[in-house]
Amino acid sequence: MQQAPVLELKEVSKRYGSFTAVNNISFTIPAGSIYGFLGPNGAGKTTTIRMILDILKPDSGSIRILGESCALNVRHRIGYLPEEKGLYKKMRVWAIIAYFATLKGMSRKAARAQAFELLERYGLKDYAESKVESLSKGMGQKVQVLSAVAHRPELVILDEPFSGLDPVNQEVLEQLIKDMAEAGQTVIFSTHIMQHAERLCDRMLLITKGQKVFDGTLDDAHALIPRRVVLECQSALSPAPASADILSVTELPLQRPALNEATRRWEILLNEQADPQMILQHCFEQRIALSRFDYTQPSLHDVFVHLVGSDAREHALR
Amino acid sequence: MKMILLIALREYGENVKTKGFWAGILLFPLILIGVFFFQTLLAESTPSRYYLLVDQSGRYGSAVDAAIRQEHQRRILQAFVSYVLENRRDQPLTQMPGQANEQIDQLIDDVGVDEVAAVDQWLESGGIDFLLTLAAPVLRENAPPFDPPREQFLQAESPVDIPDDASPEEIVERLRPWLGGERSLLIDGERSPLFALILIPREVDSAIQRPGATLPGQSTPSGGVQYWASNLTDTRLPNAIERSINSTIRNNEFTARGVDIQTVRNVQRTRLPLSRLDPRKEAGEEAVSVADTFRQWAPVGFVYLMFISLMQSVQYLLSNTIEEKSNRIIEVLLASVTPLELMMGKLLGIGLSGITTIAAWLLSFFLFVVFYPGTETELITQFFQVLMSSDLIPYFIFYFLAGYALYAGIFLAIGSLCNTLKEAQSLMMPMMMILIAPLVTMTFIAQDPNGTVARIMSWIPLFTPFTMMNRAAAQPPLTDVIGTTVLLVLSIALVLWLSGKIFRQGVLRTGQPPRIVEILRMLRHRH
Repeated sequence: MQQAPVLELKEVSKRYGSFTAVNNISFTIPAGSIYGFLGPNGAGKTTTIRMILDILKPDSGSIRILGESCALNVRHRIGYLPEEKGLYKKMRVWAIIAYFATLKGMSRKAARAQAFELLERYGLKDYAESKVESLSKGMGQKVQVLSAVAHRPELVILDEPFSGLDPVNQEVLEQLIKDMAEAGQTVIFSTHIMQHAERLCDRMLLITKGQKVFDGTLDDAHALIPRRVVLECQSALSPAPASADILSVTELPLQRPALNEATRRWEILLNEQADPQMILQHCFEQRIALSRFDYTQPSLHDVFVHLVGSDAREHALR
Repeated sequence: MKMILLIALREYGENVKTKGFWAGILLFPLILIGVFFFQTLLAESTPSRYYLLVDQSGRYGSAVDAAIRQEHQRRILQAFVSYVLENRRDQPLTQMPGQANEQIDQLIDDVGVDEVAAVDQWLESGGIDFLLTLAAPVLRENAPPFDPPREQFLQAESPVDIPDDASPEEIVERLRPWLGGERSLLIDGERSPLFALILIPREVDSAIQRPGATLPGQSTPSGGVQYWASNLTDTRLPNAIERSINSTIRNNEFTARGVDIQTVRNVQRTRLPLSRLDPRKEAGEEAVSVADTFRQWAPVGFVYLMFISLMQSVQYLLSNTIEEKSNRIIEVLLASVTPLELMMGKLLGIGLSGITTIAAWLLSFFLFVVFYPGTETELITQFFQVLMSSDLIPYFIFYFLAGYALYAGIFLAIGSLCNTLKEAQSLMMPMMMILIAPLVTMTFIAQDPNGTVARIMSWIPLFTPFTMMNRAAAQPPLTDVIGTTVLLVLSIALVLWLSGKIFRQGVLRTGQPPRIVEILRMLRHRH
């Protein structure tokens, strides 16, 4: 079914003095999807999210959210988890979830019932009456995620929801996101950990230095970088395989001392449509004895590094 | 509006749960109760003090004795007056014998006007027994018996033999261990320290000073009567002695010049009362009563109350905003409510808890007056009646709310700019300096409520709530009341509007608190 997009950004920019945090970003998010918002530290993810939520005003460009030009008008239909987490320390766990739900327009009674239900479903039942200050950081974060989504919003925006969670709780959170998507809610989450995006996202947006560098599905992302085959054989790779689909053939230095001194290592980059079988075929025909044949699907991590690698490193070294 | 209420309710609910809130609520009644119980306790526990009187001249000893006795009688009379006030019938009996009621009224009046004369008079007419007979008809049936206060100063026997011809220096030397507290007197099997030695030397008359004559005794500091005591703070005994000896000497002088002492005494007791009248009162009601004096001073109490509870509220508001900011809760809140709703909700919630505190204070005050019928509460009851009958309470409620809105707006803006209380301190400093001013001028303005300083301060909006409250009992000119109120309301609107601007930009700020230029830029910001 074709629905109006839940979110549409057109040429949105935000500057702080001379620093441009977000530069001319446009994208559209269809309803009912899990949308990953990826980028290195300082890429402008949080600023973009704050503009979407109308906490910050963009300097230029337009934002339409749930059919409105201003998030304020539809704020009861949005759930938001900010990047920096914090809760009122003195409040009880169920009360804080219920409080944020009532701020989103739920009745007190319904909010209270929903708080207890969520706590039970996501394994925090025993802590319902505890004070927030007595929780560990990870548990506190789970509570905050629940308080952001307790009012069953149509659009959920989670800024770095996985940071600070142990692997078990990361899985619980992934389950929560999947549950919400199944219920027809649209989930946008930002992260710089690609595995989560890889497992969850229907579509993703990659930004770096305030600019959009990629917007598409996981397959689109994989298509961005060439497929890679690594070979090891005891002789020169000659004649080299040649085809329109083969982008390059390079010899790599050996990583570790091989059993046989004659061992040599090669990297072959292929077009994304190419069938790696053809390399095997070629070697077999030319009687090149292979001691290793590696073909791996590039991970999202590789895509990420490929797209923002130099920038991110530069950033890290500064 | 619903959001504002939700936020206000949470703020209120959370504030009411804090220890600080309850400390604030309980502090005032505890102080109130503490002061009175402590006073009572102190009065009861002050031990009788023993003095030693050595009268070598043989002329003034009896006068000193009489003076100390009179001092005691004065305290009995005072205690008796409060006893009567406390235990009086609400309705005078119809078949009241004689003019008992009027006589008691007269007595109470006399004590208020001229205590010394009143004491003389009632001692002459028969002392305490006479008074009890006189008062009996006006007392309630279930009145407790009158319990006169204990004597404070008692004469002791000398612990050592003092030869008749000993010089003053010798006597002091012999008694020094007792005076210095190294040894104590044995009285009725109990050890008590010697409080004071009153030594009247043989040649004391040579130290008498007369106007116009050369002053022979002035060269020696210990000339005249010597009062030896290591306690320098309790001046009641030396004062009584000085009064009585001077009075005796003067009487002697009168006799020496052939004037009849009884005449003199009558002359001295002649008086023309001074009535203090208030020109603003209706004819026939001009008399300035105790209640009127209270009315004059009650606003000072209110200013103080306002100051304390304002301070408490704005401090809480500040730390609470900083908590939300440093915890980044603010972002979640701002995704749900507008900054203005958040600000108003906070203002309302904390304001409500401030009002709760004040209501609790007034209530505890009221309960205290009702359930603690002590001597001092007679005055408090009057004070209370003044409060209820005058328009001070409405004034107070209005100025408290106005002052709160004004200062809360400013402190909220400060809180929104800072990430820690430490950062807030430097921004708060100037506000604190401003807040001190009404407190410092409080008594001064109460004395001169429509003077230049009071009027000028009334027109400065930051001071208006305090100063106008201070002047409330003095019927300030209508121009002042209306003008300052309009100015105050306008300033509140302006402050809330500007701090709303700072608040919405400040709450999302991170890093150092801004410099003045940046704050000005925020104020000019459009959004």
